[in-house]
Amino acid sequence: MPASIRPIVQKELKSYFNSPIAYIVIVTFLMFSSIWLFYLQQFFVMNVASMRVFFSIIPIVFIIIMPAITMRGWAEEKKLGTMEVLITLPYRESTLVIGKFLAGFCLLLIMSLLTLPLPLLLSRFGNFDWGEILSQYLGVLLIGAAGISIGLFVSSFATNQISAFLLSFFVLLIFTLISRVSFIFILPPWAAGFFNYLSLGFHFSSFQKGLIDTRDLFYYLIVIGLFIYMNIKALIFMKWS
Amino acid sequence: MIEVDKLGKHYGSLEAVRNVSFEIDDGEVVGLLGPNGAGKTTILRILTCYIFPSYGTARVNGYDIFDQALEIKKSVGYLPENAPLYTDLNVMEYLDFIAESRSLTGNTKSERIEWIIEECELNDVVYRSIDKISRGFRQRTALAQAIIHNPEILILDEPTTGLDPNQIIEIRELIKRLGKKKTVILSTHILQEVEATCRRVLILNEGEIVARGTSEEIWREMKGETILSLTLIAASSQDKLPVTDSLSGLEGIKEIIETSKLAKNRLALKLSLDPEADAEEAIFDWAVERGYKIISMIPKAFSLEDIFIKLTREGGENAG
Repeated sequence: MPASIRPIVQKELKSYFNSPIAYIVIVTFLMFSSIWLFYLQQFFVMNVASMRVFFSIIPIVFIIIMPAITMRGWAEEKKLGTMEVLITLPYRESTLVIGKFLAGFCLLLIMSLLTLPLPLLLSRFGNFDWGEILSQYLGVLLIGAAGISIGLFVSSFATNQISAFLLSFFVLLIFTLISRVSFIFILPPWAAGFFNYLSLGFHFSSFQKGLIDTRDLFYYLIVIGLFIYMNIKALIFMKWS
Repeated sequence: MIEVDKLGKHYGSLEAVRNVSFEIDDGEVVGLLGPNGAGKTTILRILTCYIFPSYGTARVNGYDIFDQALEIKKSVGYLPENAPLYTDLNVMEYLDFIAESRSLTGNTKSERIEWIIEECELNDVVYRSIDKISRGFRQRTALAQAIIHNPEILILDEPTTGLDPNQIIEIRELIKRLGKKKTVILSTHILQEVEATCRRVLILNEGEIVARGTSEEIWREMKGETILSLTLIAASSQDKLPVTDSLSGLEGIKEIIETSKLAKNRLALKLSLDPEADAEEAIFDWAVERGYKIISMIPKAFSLEDIFIKLTREGGENAG
């Protein structure tokens, strides 16, 4: 029996919270999204009992937040040399990758839970559709998880945190905003559809509107699974190089 | 039991390990000795399943490195080079993570952690962040990581680098104590380390094994000669050829290892002598006869460099 996944998740979470990174990420996220909602979008002036505007900015914020969560991932292990300890402990490569992914997901979950007071407090001022809010939070967790899975994969090619952050940032930037190329260029419908299909941001829009579409759900699950799989393969490939 | 069979590893165009084969029996303490870049770390990384070899294979504790890596990882404790540690955890958190990764739980876990803290003398730093403890404590924390699960096989890559002399002695004592019950393979570039801890030695150079045997066997062979460093003034000659020619004919001189010209007609030579013959006397007479003036004549102990120069010159294996 290989070792269980729990020690890895615990160790990663301890590393997050023993260093300033987790706090910086959470505070930045909460501050920016609140400023966006109340100051830039003038929530109270709009006079609509909906969190849609709040969630509309999430894919953009996550382009910066997710790489900050995952940049340590493998890059820091390589830099410290602890990769050698980790790989030679009795874990399967898949356990290591999924363990790191789950730790990142826990951080995402904590971050998301900390935004819950917003709709809870605001619900005093109007009738919110809680089904819509549920769908929006599901969307946040899915797009966030996809970002973590992509960021971790990218981090396995980087040799330090900074390059891991920048690389993941660019990959997520392209992946999120690729649907917008049809705003700039006139594209044939099939091409526009193709770019939309690839885009992390495009699939978020239905969750943001309160719709849970299985196509979008599957899209995110496939992205998450694919990058976790490639990450496992990348670890095995490193043994041969 | 470790069996290594024609192992090799390429990094791009560099061949770090070439066709290396050896066996280590249960309960043996074996040293891998070699200069930096000789391939020691690469061999240890292959044995611990951190990397795969480019060719050849190995079995550790009867398990194949390709197919049964998980079993190997369970039965091996590994201290990588430079003692890597998670700097944002404290010592206790780190040992706890390692213990749980080794499937130790509940009371057994706490007992093992307590034992290892005692054994490696980590009491003073248990709750200190790893990035704030000294090099000696780091090395011992890393060693604790390798032995916490009481592994059958212990693989240590340069276990004493960065330690002060007292700490080095302590670590060697610990390794010796562990070596009574376990199979230990350690790498080092320090000769005394091998003499102090290992029963058998493999000497590596440029990825190849150049000598092997028990420490006594190799040192006896190495110490079978005396090295003499000689400086003289050969007034009549700018050329070193006549000097070396006539000198190498003398009885008791096995080999002229090195010659170099110094300023003011001085010539420095490094000679390998037969300890049985009185070569020093013969050299003195030879110098007087030819009108050379001896400036210095210093007997030297065989250093690791000399062994390497000798072994790499002769090439291949010369013992065992």
